[in-house]
Amino acid sequence: MSVPIRILCIDDEARILRALKALFREHEVYVTDDPDTAVELAGRHDIDVVVCDQRMPKRLGVEVLRAIKQRHPRALRILLTGYSDLSAILGSVNDGEVFRYVNKPWDNTELRQVVQTAARIARDAPVLAPELSSEGEKEAARRVAQILVIEDDPETQARLREILMPHYQVRFATSPERALQVLEQHEVGVVISETDSGRADLTGLIKELKRHHPMIAAVVLTDRANAQLAIDLINEGQVFRMLLKPVRMGSCRLSVEAGLSRYWQLKQNPDAAARYVVAADAEAPRERHWVNESLLKRILALPKRWLISPSRSKPDAEAAYY
Amino acid sequence: MGVWILAVCWLATAGGAFFLYQQWQRAKQALEESEIRLLKMKDSQSQVIHTTKLASLGQMIAGVAHEMNTPLGFIKSNAEVVRELLGEHRAMLVRWIDFMQKLQRADLSQPNATVAVRRLAERIESEYRAQQQLDEADGLLEDAHDGLVQLATLVRNLKGFARVDRDGMDQLDVNESVESALTIANHQLRDRITVERQLGEVPKVRAMPSQINQVVLNLITNAAQAMGDQGTLTIGTRRNGEMVEIAVQDSGCGIPPEVLPKIFDPFFTTKPIGEGTGLGLAIVHKIVTAHGGNVAVDSEVGRGTRFTVSLPVDHGALKRERPAAMTPKPGAEDPNP
Repeated sequence: MSVPIRILCIDDEARILRALKALFREHEVYVTDDPDTAVELAGRHDIDVVVCDQRMPKRLGVEVLRAIKQRHPRALRILLTGYSDLSAILGSVNDGEVFRYVNKPWDNTELRQVVQTAARIARDAPVLAPELSSEGEKEAARRVAQILVIEDDPETQARLREILMPHYQVRFATSPERALQVLEQHEVGVVISETDSGRADLTGLIKELKRHHPMIAAVVLTDRANAQLAIDLINEGQVFRMLLKPVRMGSCRLSVEAGLSRYWQLKQNPDAAARYVVAADAEAPRERHWVNESLLKRILALPKRWLISPSRSKPDAEAAYY
Repeated sequence: MGVWILAVCWLATAGGAFFLYQQWQRAKQALEESEIRLLKMKDSQSQVIHTTKLASLGQMIAGVAHEMNTPLGFIKSNAEVVRELLGEHRAMLVRWIDFMQKLQRADLSQPNATVAVRRLAERIESEYRAQQQLDEADGLLEDAHDGLVQLATLVRNLKGFARVDRDGMDQLDVNESVESALTIANHQLRDRITVERQLGEVPKVRAMPSQINQVVLNLITNAAQAMGDQGTLTIGTRRNGEMVEIAVQDSGCGIPPEVLPKIFDPFFTTKPIGEGTGLGLAIVHKIVTAHGGNVAVDSEVGRGTRFTVSLPVDHGALKRERPAAMTPKPGAEDPNP
């Protein structure tokens, strides 16, 4: 509670704003119900953390967060919402790149914890440019980093092959074990994964992988209209993009290109990876791991392919933030 | 020779009879099969109707959950924060008591004693003023109370909608149905659709309230879906002769004339597979006709659609109400003179 955090709260319900202001009374809290004012306030007060409602009459929370991301990218964005439909959640990942998704009614201790963590990261971790600037760098990224597809549906596999093969080095895996083999042998920048292969729940693998290797971008394909699954993947898996099946050429290409770009930037700037850490034990203590022991060991043993080592000397870069 | 002819005739007759018998068997089998198919279809149809009911229940719950989560959010948070504030306030009081005890023990004849006491008192007071715990707690409790009133209203509307307490025929004010259906549908509407209420003074109808609520909700949901991103939903009620009318009008895409005759058919839908059951309007039609009413539709492509549900006025209710309300007999208040 040492340094006051600068928090911006956006909600159309005045009583929610008053409650948040009281909850964070030790900090510097700015509140507004107007999306346009919000964007302006974020820049003017050099806000650390934005807490925003999803459903507001003037504009959706995702749109406000996207505008703030452009204007003031340093702030981390938290979506606070009472009702989640899948399209809103997909939007919040793909457009708003939200740090966390918190349900109303929230838990005070938990929300304080999330905001603390977010503020620390917002202040310490450098901000990345939206994408790679030069064609040369993009070319280098494509040459060095590979794309791993975890998918056992032959139809989707064929579709991805058709979309990605002409542009990237793509490897296919149909099981978590096989996927790890690829990760061990090759430098993978983007993982494209189904949420549920016929044999195994793949979300656990994604979450555990992201937990220990936050620089790898995860693109998740789903045909399950399950809002909670998507929220968990944001909070615990920090997925980069979430695409609905059937896979469309345009959005798939864009997501992979942006993911590779992100990987390449993080490789050169590992301190920024803190911005994409998953909710860890400090936020949500847990007894079990997402995957079994042997897989976990292999995930932990994967080489960290930073170009320079992170300024925090701990080998587990993300552990330093908690 | 004659024997041969007779034998051939007999064989021909027997063959013909056997052939006819086979045909008859086949026809019978086909009939049985089609009967089974029909039964199966009826079964699956009732299953779909049941599923639709569950789907609209799910939709209702999702809507209400959203309406409840916002007040729950700040009430829950405020309760916790007020408790913290009271803790801080208690710590303040402890400091005051401590100060008073010191004051009692102090030797005020010392030269600087009064100055020191005044300073200490001022410090505690300014500390207290800076924190303003009680004022803040007051505001938070007021908000929490408002939120609870909002939740109570919501629960009352919900009960009114489901009518779990009284199923069966009852006298119904259709305006109540409209209000409770609007509450349930609120989360589908509030971001994008303006609602205009034109509710008139209408006599009661004799109806199953939960079913009429379902009718109104289905029409509102349909209207909301027809309007896409923006629009105006106008809901009116009025008396038209012996009927009470509920009109639900949207400013949406409208229904093409070639589709119009089919809209009340079960399983007819223009929505993509998986999004509509094609039963919403069929259920509306079935419920309204079962109540002795009718549904009229009026649509223009690009301008919008108006559904008008007409239900017969409950004359029983009118007769029962009239003598009491309009011609009170002198002395009627006192049945035992």
